[in-house]
Amino acid sequence: MKPQATAICSILPPHIVRKLSDKPEMRDQVLRDLATTERLRGIRQAFTMSLLPSQPGTKHRTIFDGQKTMSLPGTQVRDEGGAPTADVAVNEAYDYCGDTYDFYSKVFNRNSVDDHGLTLTSTVHYGDGYDNALWNGQQMIYGDGDGKYFQRFTICLDVIGHELTHGVTQNEAQLVYSGQSGALNESISDVFGSLIKQWANNQTVDQADWLIGAGIFTDAVQGKAIRSMSAPGTAYGDPNIGDDPQPATMDAYVNTTDDNGGVHINSGIPNRAFFLSAKAIGGYAWQKAGLIWYRTLNGSLNPNADFQTMANATTTVAGSLFGQNSAEQKAVSDAWNTVGIAPTASQFAALSAQAKPGQQKAATTGD
Amino acid sequence: MRISIERTGGFAGIKQTNSVSTDQLPPEESRKVAGLVEAAGFSDLPPVIRSTEPGGDQFQYKVTVEGDHGSHTVQVDEAAVPPSLQPVLNWVKNSART
Repeated sequence: MKPQATAICSILPPHIVRKLSDKPEMRDQVLRDLATTERLRGIRQAFTMSLLPSQPGTKHRTIFDGQKTMSLPGTQVRDEGGAPTADVAVNEAYDYCGDTYDFYSKVFNRNSVDDHGLTLTSTVHYGDGYDNALWNGQQMIYGDGDGKYFQRFTICLDVIGHELTHGVTQNEAQLVYSGQSGALNESISDVFGSLIKQWANNQTVDQADWLIGAGIFTDAVQGKAIRSMSAPGTAYGDPNIGDDPQPATMDAYVNTTDDNGGVHINSGIPNRAFFLSAKAIGGYAWQKAGLIWYRTLNGSLNPNADFQTMANATTTVAGSLFGQNSAEQKAVSDAWNTVGIAPTASQFAALSAQAKPGQQKAATTGD
Repeated sequence: MRISIERTGGFAGIKQTNSVSTDQLPPEESRKVAGLVEAAGFSDLPPVIRSTEPGGDQFQYKVTVEGDHGSHTVQVDEAAVPPSLQPVLNWVKNSART
């Protein structure tokens, strides 16, 4: 049984809360959470207002140094347009944020994670030997790693793309970070993190390594990366840190209360569905498979979407974009079938046509 | 008393377990740890403490304290760790390091 989020509405915008409260089975939960939500939203808005918004259509990166503490945001060390510093973590955070901003802008015509030019704030050197990179709802945070098993977490472009994509998801489908919706949230960050790396390196589907976090492990670890999208469960196998636990198909789905219900574990299943779709379509993965996933994230998922919903929605969106029974739609449908989920496109045709107002925008397939 | 911390989640999603028994410690250190656990009000903490803020890749901790009067386990999101519990997490991390 997958764990339930305790306050599902805390991350929902008012229009979705209103929609949910129309459903009798959701109404009580929604009303209970509403008071808490309004209080938290007030706190969040106060924080966001304290960060200067960028001009529309411009890139604004700002980097802080946590100086090995857990105080946020830390001391500002580089702002948009500033010269490189002597600190490699600062420069990596700055440059890879730039690549991520440019990818979303040029490929999907999206202006930053919120599509309204939000300043991209990062804190590097967070904590002492901190083995993690994360998105805390407002900014990116990077640890230096313990040096024994993990290097600094700014070292990989796809990791930075992954974190910023959590911000995109937060502003779009708002997938609840638990169970299957949480694994989808994770998978979407891996998908676009990998696409950003492929786009920056001008790699086709066949040239890309489809690895997430290649280069984060030190030489002491027996492993090539944190995750493999093409072959989940094969990224590492090490006597000290264990074996890659990711399943590649639904019949190996892991039920657990760890990791918010295995969000970093079961993401292997939708990750592989994306890889197989992109592989079958060929060429540059961001142009077609990436567009299908982006449009799905942008218009046809609800916060509690599960893998079946994602399979149905991506198959439907593929049909809308490239034609019913097109090679692209067949590629997506076949991919989901291979990982053990049979998509049904028709029942979601109406849903995918209802884009959120003002958010469905023209995306180019160029670059 | 035995304190065990299981850390899951994070970007890498790699499980890490640390466990320290105070029986093996010098008496002074053992008393200090017992004091930290008591100051955290550990036995009164709820079994699950979730963060309601959005975000991704934060750690999740499962903290278990076993003593003469039984065992209590608390599962807590990194963003929701009570300030009084943080010193316990830090102590176990540091003691596992050495």
